[in-house]
Amino acid sequence: MLKRFAYLTLCACAPAYAAPSLDDARVQQLAADRYWIALGHYETAKLGGWRSYVDDDKFFLAEDGAHHPDRELRATVDALYAPANLGDKHAQCVFPARTRWLREQLQLSDLPTPDCQEYSRWYADVAPHSAVLIFPAAYLNSPSSMFGHTLLRIDKADTRSNDTTLLSYAINFGAYIEGSDNSILYAWKGLMGGYPGLFAMMPYQEKLSEYRSLENRDLWEYQLDLTPEETGRMVEHVWELKQVQFDYFFFDENCSYRLLELLQVARPGLDLTSQFPLTAIPTDTVKAVKQSGLVSDVRYRPSRERELLARAEPLDHHEKQQVLAVSADTAQLQSPEFTALPRERQALVQDAAYRLERYRATGQERDPEQARRSFELLRAINRNPPPPLQIERPGLPEDGHQSRTWQLGVGTREDRAFAEYGLRMAYHDLNDNAYGFPLGAQIEILQLKLRQYEGNDWQVQRLDLATIRSLTPRNELLKPWSWQVAGGLERVPGKHDDEVLVSHVNGGGGGTWQLADGLLGFALGTVRVEHHNDFAEFISPAAGFNGGLLWRNGLGNMTLEAKGDYFTNGEVRRSLSLNQQWEISQNLGLRLSAKREFSHLATAQNEVMLELKWYQY
Amino acid sequence: MKRILLGTLFAAVSINAMAEAPGGPNCGWGNLLFEGQRGTPAHFLASTTNGTSGNATFGMTSGTNGCSTKAALTYGGKSWLAMNGTMNELSEDMAQGQGEALTTYAVVLGVKPEDRAHFASVTHDHFQQIFSSANVTAEDVHNNTIAVLKKDPQLAKYATEA
Repeated sequence: MLKRFAYLTLCACAPAYAAPSLDDARVQQLAADRYWIALGHYETAKLGGWRSYVDDDKFFLAEDGAHHPDRELRATVDALYAPANLGDKHAQCVFPARTRWLREQLQLSDLPTPDCQEYSRWYADVAPHSAVLIFPAAYLNSPSSMFGHTLLRIDKADTRSNDTTLLSYAINFGAYIEGSDNSILYAWKGLMGGYPGLFAMMPYQEKLSEYRSLENRDLWEYQLDLTPEETGRMVEHVWELKQVQFDYFFFDENCSYRLLELLQVARPGLDLTSQFPLTAIPTDTVKAVKQSGLVSDVRYRPSRERELLARAEPLDHHEKQQVLAVSADTAQLQSPEFTALPRERQALVQDAAYRLERYRATGQERDPEQARRSFELLRAINRNPPPPLQIERPGLPEDGHQSRTWQLGVGTREDRAFAEYGLRMAYHDLNDNAYGFPLGAQIEILQLKLRQYEGNDWQVQRLDLATIRSLTPRNELLKPWSWQVAGGLERVPGKHDDEVLVSHVNGGGGGTWQLADGLLGFALGTVRVEHHNDFAEFISPAAGFNGGLLWRNGLGNMTLEAKGDYFTNGEVRRSLSLNQQWEISQNLGLRLSAKREFSHLATAQNEVMLELKWYQY
Repeated sequence: MKRILLGTLFAAVSINAMAEAPGGPNCGWGNLLFEGQRGTPAHFLASTTNGTSGNATFGMTSGTNGCSTKAALTYGGKSWLAMNGTMNELSEDMAQGQGEALTTYAVVLGVKPEDRAHFASVTHDHFQQIFSSANVTAEDVHNNTIAVLKKDPQLAKYATEA
């Protein structure tokens, strides 16, 4: 506000430079230009007119600039002619992208030339030349990461030839959290837009260690085909967004959406944001960017965990035991068991032990004893270095199936035929087309299934709010837990062989083991609370089990599962199920499901269904 | 690049009455090897909403972390070497004799492309001198590197040019 008054007063009393008098038609025409709309982050408001996604007074020079691109444009032109001695506070220094565009459009050749020290130093330090879209892939043991995140990296002219991406900056858009809200409040506010969104710029190296070490996510780097000029335009605009608060919503106006807007500023002809009317899921945005022909090269950086597993992979049981022994006590490097190994196997064992040690230290305070062990291992590695790690690049995440899924099934339950219609908003289950997804991870958000029995008898079959499963295999070196949570409405056997719609929340924990290549076995203990109309009490708790096999075969993924719930009221509900997916194409799958359910309330029921799945967008 | 790094180093040495690490007290020159990387308490959720917690930085201009922002090679006032995690990566690369962090270190020190392979092999051979203990600081590592470069005929020029 103050700044705005400063401009006004200065404009009033120091008319050394005169802003050109713009006729209204010209202002209207320019203000409606897509580029101006992009620079102001305007969208058409629900009741007509405009509103800006920016929720911050200091971003607008006109009093009502957030709703009037034309008034904002006029105010900006006036401010560009403010006296040059405003220095860093001059509109030209605060809004370099607006300045450039207006200068070009209106041929403003007589602008004052303030000395933008802060901006020039910052721009020279970033030295933009090319841009890279960064996508940290999902981490199996944190299925919520399946939604992913996208950020941008800005490289200098010599970054590629020198291989110094570690010196580049990353541009990140995220919710800005102040103070110390507790976790629940945090999640809620994050989803509901309770936090402002802010752009931040930080060393790429910081982001790398955050994702690769702290979160163990692989990183995908998509080199963008932007010219140095286009990259510069984008970075100029990022400066305008410094400390500027946006509305932030987890599902749509999120990191990915904002980055797409930036790309549109870089290359005015692009139209990326209009493809996401409802939700912008980061993998989808990667797809959109790729489809627009912006990606010239893809690079893969494995996570620290994947590197550790890859290093340990060729080791046999005895050698892995050595890895554990050496990482626990570096004196073992002198033990006869270790020194008896061939020298090149010693190199692998040492390196794996070092990586395991660092993996365990992740997220912990520095422990002097652990630091000493790590250092001893480094010295051993220095004396006998292992060959560089070769890690095969997994399937491109953007070539995986789309996230919104329509489902059409036909089947029979006992002797009744039915058709089933389903829609899932997101994202992936254990059986879905596997390319680009980790085996054993599932996250489903909002799934509705309606069933139509013979005789036009309709019913809600299930409504899942969220179903998350994380089946990460345990091995000799790493022992992650497997877990699952789910909640919503579903049909279960009830009295008189009816299917009763119950509301439920359930969860479980246990372990998963790699039985063979592409074959996982899992066993979890579960708990459940349920509201069931046939039960006397309002809420019924149960404990149980859930175990089975997940097999990646030539057709697709197969699961074979057994489940049991033992209710405190005496009901025992068990089921056996088999699901086999046939992956027809990237976005089409056919699934055969067979299930047999047992309950104390009803006779055993058989159900078979064949279901077509279309992963739409 | 290198000129400015060494310039600040020397400037700090010449006014070391201030008894502060170059770049200011919080800039990480005192960081130890294997300094822990901590997640935020709400890290699981933070990553879900991609939050930026604490001070939202904006490249070198933020200058709010108590660091001098005058030196190049700095991100928000931190020297590259002193940045969280860099020393760990560099120590691994140097122990093995190759890697991205080692290349970056050479570039940061101004080592020309034709000398970088030699730089990698010399620092690999002198790993135990450069990373002399588990408790070296970023500053130690830098000083030790310069000492090693000085003794190598081909690389000595990178240790003296300031």
